[in-house]
Amino acid sequence: MSVWNPDNIRDVAESVGIANLNNDVADNLARDVEYRIAQVLEEALKFMRHGRRTVLTTQDISNALRVLDVEPLYGYESTRPLRFGEASLGPGQPLFYVEDEEVDFEKLINAPLPKIPREVTFTAHWLAVEGVQPSIPQNPTSAESRNLELVSKGPNANPTLAAMSGNQNVAVKPLVKHVLSKELQLYFEKVCNAFLDESSEEYRTSAYSSLREDPGLHQLVPYFVQFISEKVTHSLKDIFVLSQVMRMTEALILNKSLYVDPYVASLVPPVLTCLIGRQLGGNADLSEQFALRDFAASLIGLIAKKYSHASHTLKPRLARSCLKNFLDPAKPFGTHYGAIIGLHAVGGPDVVRELILPNLKPYEKLLRDAIAEDGPRRPEAEKVLGALLAVLSTLHEGRAHMANGHAAIVTDELREQLNEKVGELIAAKIAEAGDVQTAHAILGH
Amino acid sequence: MPRSKKGGRSRKKKQPETAASTAPVTSEAPTAPVLPGPSDNSREDASVSTAARQEPTISQLARRRLELELLTAQQALTAMLIEEQRTLVTKPSALPPVEEKTDVIDYLAKKGYTRTEAMLRMESANQEIDGRSLPQLSEDQRPKYRQGFDLTKVWIEDNLDLYKPELRRVLWPLFVYSFLDLVSSFYPQDAKQFFETNKNLFLPEHAEDIRALEPISLPEHVQDNTVAKIYRGNKYRLILSNPAFSNLMQFLENKHKEGGSVMSAILSSYCTIITKERAADDRFSFAAMLGRARESETFPAEDEGIPGHHPGSAYTGDNPAMTGTLPRLKLGKLPPEPELEGDVRAELEEYDAKNPPPPGRNTLVQEYDQMIKKEEDEEAPSRAEIPFPPSTARDVAIEVQRVKENRDRFRIEGRTGGVGPAVSVCMFTFHNTYDRLTCLDFSDDNMLVAAGFEESYIRVWSLDGKEIKPTHAGLEDVTPPSNSKRLFGHSGPVYAVAFAPSAARTEGELAPTNARWLLSSSADKTIRLWSLDLWQCMVVYKGHDQPVWDLSWGPFGYYFVSGGHDKTARLWVTDRIRQQRIFAGHDQDVDCVCFHPNSAYVFTGSCDHTVRMWAVTTGNCVRMFTGHTGNITALACSRNGKILASADDHGSIFLWDLAPGRLLKRMRGHGKGGIWSLSWNVESNVLVSGGADGTVRVWDINPPAPEPSGSQTRAGGEGSSGTKIDTNATAASTQASASVGPGAGKKKGKENVVTPDQISAFPTKKSPVYKVKFTNMNLIIAGGAYLP
Repeated sequence: MSVWNPDNIRDVAESVGIANLNNDVADNLARDVEYRIAQVLEEALKFMRHGRRTVLTTQDISNALRVLDVEPLYGYESTRPLRFGEASLGPGQPLFYVEDEEVDFEKLINAPLPKIPREVTFTAHWLAVEGVQPSIPQNPTSAESRNLELVSKGPNANPTLAAMSGNQNVAVKPLVKHVLSKELQLYFEKVCNAFLDESSEEYRTSAYSSLREDPGLHQLVPYFVQFISEKVTHSLKDIFVLSQVMRMTEALILNKSLYVDPYVASLVPPVLTCLIGRQLGGNADLSEQFALRDFAASLIGLIAKKYSHASHTLKPRLARSCLKNFLDPAKPFGTHYGAIIGLHAVGGPDVVRELILPNLKPYEKLLRDAIAEDGPRRPEAEKVLGALLAVLSTLHEGRAHMANGHAAIVTDELREQLNEKVGELIAAKIAEAGDVQTAHAILGH
Repeated sequence: MPRSKKGGRSRKKKQPETAASTAPVTSEAPTAPVLPGPSDNSREDASVSTAARQEPTISQLARRRLELELLTAQQALTAMLIEEQRTLVTKPSALPPVEEKTDVIDYLAKKGYTRTEAMLRMESANQEIDGRSLPQLSEDQRPKYRQGFDLTKVWIEDNLDLYKPELRRVLWPLFVYSFLDLVSSFYPQDAKQFFETNKNLFLPEHAEDIRALEPISLPEHVQDNTVAKIYRGNKYRLILSNPAFSNLMQFLENKHKEGGSVMSAILSSYCTIITKERAADDRFSFAAMLGRARESETFPAEDEGIPGHHPGSAYTGDNPAMTGTLPRLKLGKLPPEPELEGDVRAELEEYDAKNPPPPGRNTLVQEYDQMIKKEEDEEAPSRAEIPFPPSTARDVAIEVQRVKENRDRFRIEGRTGGVGPAVSVCMFTFHNTYDRLTCLDFSDDNMLVAAGFEESYIRVWSLDGKEIKPTHAGLEDVTPPSNSKRLFGHSGPVYAVAFAPSAARTEGELAPTNARWLLSSSADKTIRLWSLDLWQCMVVYKGHDQPVWDLSWGPFGYYFVSGGHDKTARLWVTDRIRQQRIFAGHDQDVDCVCFHPNSAYVFTGSCDHTVRMWAVTTGNCVRMFTGHTGNITALACSRNGKILASADDHGSIFLWDLAPGRLLKRMRGHGKGGIWSLSWNVESNVLVSGGADGTVRVWDINPPAPEPSGSQTRAGGEGSSGTKIDTNATAASTQASASVGPGAGKKKGKENVVTPDQISAFPTKKSPVYKVKFTNMNLIIAGGAYLP
């Protein structure tokens, strides 16, 4: 008995003109066919393995046949898995065949060219940082990798190693205290306290300068990062704490001896919160709140500039979250303000031109309503207007200065165009300031 | 092998006729793959041919012809013998009886014994079908293989726990040889049945062999199948302790009638059983047995299996004087060339004077001294044995940069307080590859990444995404600037790419140290050398006559080694288009190759499940390691040159101690499907691996400290919890041993068991990892393709 049906052999024999094949011969041949197929598969598997694949393709089979000195089968080359159709010869006798599409030449020739497949590219990210896998979008979440056997179990397994690799299922926490020296722990506590010390300015500055300049703090970086995000989450109402931790962030980023790259992913959210948060500092003074946003914006700018080379997606992601908030009319003006300056900080004039300018017309209406309203929102709206103007005025940076003799005032014609482009309110403001260059820049002259 | 040996000799002497004498010998290599044939004859032959070339005297020519004739006669004789054996096997009762019978019948008819004659005709009727006599094995031998095997199986399971593990190892050879015997004595049905019922016993361990043997159903297949040939052509080596062996033999004697004889025949004709004193080998101790019982599947011992050989030794012959002798290895560092050393030293001194090291750090000169310091106890190869071209300014610059990197690296000191080293992994994920990407390599200067594709081309990107600039001022680029280049030339899938050694470029260097050369091998049987300055193919190396699976640069460039489907590995130098050595001996494809860090040895891994170590100078095999149960997919030699790591597609990584040729340990954790890459850190105490299961795993080389003492020192105050863990552990182990006790047999364990020496595992998002690499600064770079 063989898997390969001797009837097939008989069919083939008849097709080449051998009418009655002895049963034994057919059986024997069937066994041999089966063996040869296995032989081809064995060779094909080698090609699959060396192609670093886990799926066998038709090309592997052709390669195997070539190696075995057999003419390969033509017409089955395919980069996609073959589609099999099923037909029934009778009860319990399914027949499988490769579905062939009928192609009309006329149509094929006249059809538009198919899309070019996407180019092969690569991206880089940190798979592990100092033995721990960071939870960034490029890495699988713990839920995805749960069914993988990642750590050793059993009596000999070292629980610390398992915990080190960031596996949550393990009850034992990493023995952090054994890794950090006493001095470092003490230092960490002191610095954190000093930063949040409301009473002494001197204390705060010395903590800041220490964190900014001192080498050898690398082991503490993750703790500082965690401290920052914790404080931001829990003290959204306290403008003092918020601005202090932002200063801490600044110090961390600016410290030349620290390598913050791997932690940027976890450092960005708190800063973004301070930039475009809905309510910052409870009922603190408006100016303080906006000062915090300004500071956060410059931090974002710094981060974008400093770390974008390490992560391709950093800038786009930052810009996207800012833009989303900017375009959401339900958000308060404070958020809009943060989003606008944030966008500018991330990408400079280019981003302003591409992302803010096209959306200005509808946004201006929202702004005009708020300013006209004369309610509690008015001061905020004015702040936003100011920010917008400032941002727009950066547009002409880098453009050639106007030639002499050009009118130094905004003509009516220009004004009209501006109205079209950015709305009356902003146009009026620009005209008032007589900022011809900005006007031209906005209009793209 | 003798051929390559001769090449080596002539190279060493550097005689003018080197080229002339090597050329004819090597030129015949591609057509006839070198196999370890009747080596005495061919050696004689080769030496005669060179002698004849130099001075063709008549007597020598005559002698040579005589020898050739002898050789052909010998071959004809062996062919006849084989043929005869085959006919004997397929037709157990041969022709002569038929003739005798007709004589007898004639005689009976003449004498008128009609009844006797009729009886004889009747009895002999069922013996003759179309002139061939039926095999006469009806009742006596037919079912005995099955019966004998089943009996042995049951007997082993009922045996003492103490002997069970070793006796179980006997079953596999019994199974294979019974099956092959059944097939070759033409019982396809019985063979099939026998195979089907018993194959599950061996599935996790011998899956590859089972797959290869399964389709065999005709005697011709046994002659043809490579795996069957290996089993029939070699003796299976088994290690048993004395009492277990005598126990087994006694049992087989007892069951003589019920198939015991067949089994003992198999053991005596196809196996070599080495008996050992129980006490002498700690493998048979009860503790070791218990330790192994915890593992869900057993593994063959390193000295068990098909190329019957002493562990580590490459000698497989029968000569008892030769078995167990291990050639001495020179594993030390290759001493630097004196001129190069002087230049490097001067350069480093200059640099030290300019930039004095920060306090607590070595000066670069001190660092260099440490790097090239020779260990007292190990022998090193000399430069005379392995010739290199004279060094250039570039070599000096690379060496200087290496010293700098070595000093400023992130140090991995091994486990401290039970916590593994905190390594960082930078992952490069390739998108839109449609699974057509076959191989990756990162350059040593961390500026370029090369990828080979099934579509026969190679693409090189700059790692930082910036455009690739011309490396020399004079080279103007015609193509528009881009961050990648394509290299065309191969006419088949590219199976390996490798950058030549290089170093990161720094300001004020002597000469550009960037990666200048790229090698690639392909299914079109060629190896190509590409210039990364001109972005063109420079040399095509032809020699392999089947697809070339893998290649690897020597640690200092110039030399490289390739391995392919034609069962050979070949050593090349970049400035010759012919191979310098052919390493022949593997029974199957050479799947992966790698160099020893001192350039004097080459390692090859093959799908015959062996790893071999070859000496570059002589071309001889100096070590052989068996124990893998899957196809070997990656090799890496530690940077200190003492340990070899090999990985297979069953998810195991083996560590081999080179000097004594022994297995150090086996590390498991990877899923099935191949571990594509291995890499060692600078200190040689951490290994990183990446594979088809989409994980990067970091392994500890030094065995973990004994747990109880470690936990006590660490726990300190919490002594009670420490003891609690201990009791748990012992309880678990006793439980495990108890569960094995009453006929648990070989139950199928969990697929993936992770051994405790894994430090950490980092899963990727659906991206098989093709390449992992420790840089000289101990950062891990990994590359893979995202396959949604």
